[in-house]
Amino acid sequence: MAQSSKSWQLRDYVFAAFMTIGIAVTSVITVPLTLSIPLPGIRTVVWAPFAGIFLTLGMARLQRSGSVALMIGVLALVLSRISWIITAFLVSALVVTEGVMLLRGGFYGKTNRLLANVVFFSSATVAGALIGAYAAGDIFAAWVGQVWVLILMTIVSGFAGAVGWWLGERVVKQLQRAGKLNVS
Amino acid sequence: MLANPVNAPKRGWLWRVNPLLKIVLSMVAVSTAFALQDLAATGLLVAGLLVLLLTAGMSWRVWLGGAIALFLFTALTWLLRDWPAASLNSLRLLAILLPGPIFSLTTSPADLTRALQAVKLPSFLVLSLMLVWRFLPVVQREAQRIIEANQLRGVDLSRRPGQWFPGLFVPLIFRIVSYADEVTVGLETRSYDPSARRSLGQPLRWRRLDTAVAIAAVAIFGAVGYLQWSQ
Repeated sequence: MAQSSKSWQLRDYVFAAFMTIGIAVTSVITVPLTLSIPLPGIRTVVWAPFAGIFLTLGMARLQRSGSVALMIGVLALVLSRISWIITAFLVSALVVTEGVMLLRGGFYGKTNRLLANVVFFSSATVAGALIGAYAAGDIFAAWVGQVWVLILMTIVSGFAGAVGWWLGERVVKQLQRAGKLNVS
Repeated sequence: MLANPVNAPKRGWLWRVNPLLKIVLSMVAVSTAFALQDLAATGLLVAGLLVLLLTAGMSWRVWLGGAIALFLFTALTWLLRDWPAASLNSLRLLAILLPGPIFSLTTSPADLTRALQAVKLPSFLVLSLMLVWRFLPVVQREAQRIIEANQLRGVDLSRRPGQWFPGLFVPLIFRIVSYADEVTVGLETRSYDPSARRSLGQPLRWRRLDTAVAIAAVAIFGAVGYLQWSQ
């Protein structure tokens, strides 16, 4: 039976919340390393390989549409305590990802999860750069708005997301072997 | 800033302001800041926000860090353009960024959860938020323990990023998944139902202070709008 036809259970919400915690912890570890680098999307590039592990794990366990929204939406709410800009670009990225994955029928299978990771982190870079540049003023908007910078960082972010997916799938296998995760 | 202590003593009048009102005012302030192009209007908004931030009791280290970052940003903009553009961009950036810390420093996670319950946010989202705030410090402590265990074995993770995945993240993920299982079992054995109707021990109330803050905010935003759009 397709998992998308089942209703959400309490255990799904709890699992998603703990994956959100994992993603938040990865941001606490990685983002301070890049604070002094004035390159658009650099924080996403460093964050993606580790946050992608938890995102992949959550998608593998929950599988249906809305999984990324549940994990990243809560993260966006939590991080609104630091800045509304972070909330804005995370919500933009999750809307894009859920929209794309809705066409693919959810997060079943490794290919869909890879695509979701790449789309999420790429769109997070684009949305973050645009919103951040607009906040910082027209001078920085002109710098970030240079197409080659944005395209390069978007590609690198997508690649970093793919690395996160690869690591995430390795963890999924380990958890399955340990009997800790039931993924069809 | 994430680890805002849950049991911190409440101080200052901003703590007593309705959290929903603070959310709305923060959003209005950020939206207004995005639209501002006038130096006087932006300066007035930033002045108001700085006064609020002074009452919020931010640590001097954060003040210092923020001042250094702002100085570098202003200097860079000055080099790239001119002084008026640098001052306007810096003030505008401050106006966009300041509402977040003001809200964060004067609103406990418990108050925010009550506010979200009051606006009928889906119950599963409120549950998720409560779990995140409750277990984020726990998971951070777990991560710290794993890092210390690695140090005891002679592995310094700060110098070996290649070891982050096998040495830190894999054991951390196993702990997180175990926590998720335990919490699920704990909630299910207590027949917890996220969609069940529940009461609030301390329901949100609209007080005179909230009315006064709302009137003051309307006056300030009105003045900012007048300065920006009257010419």
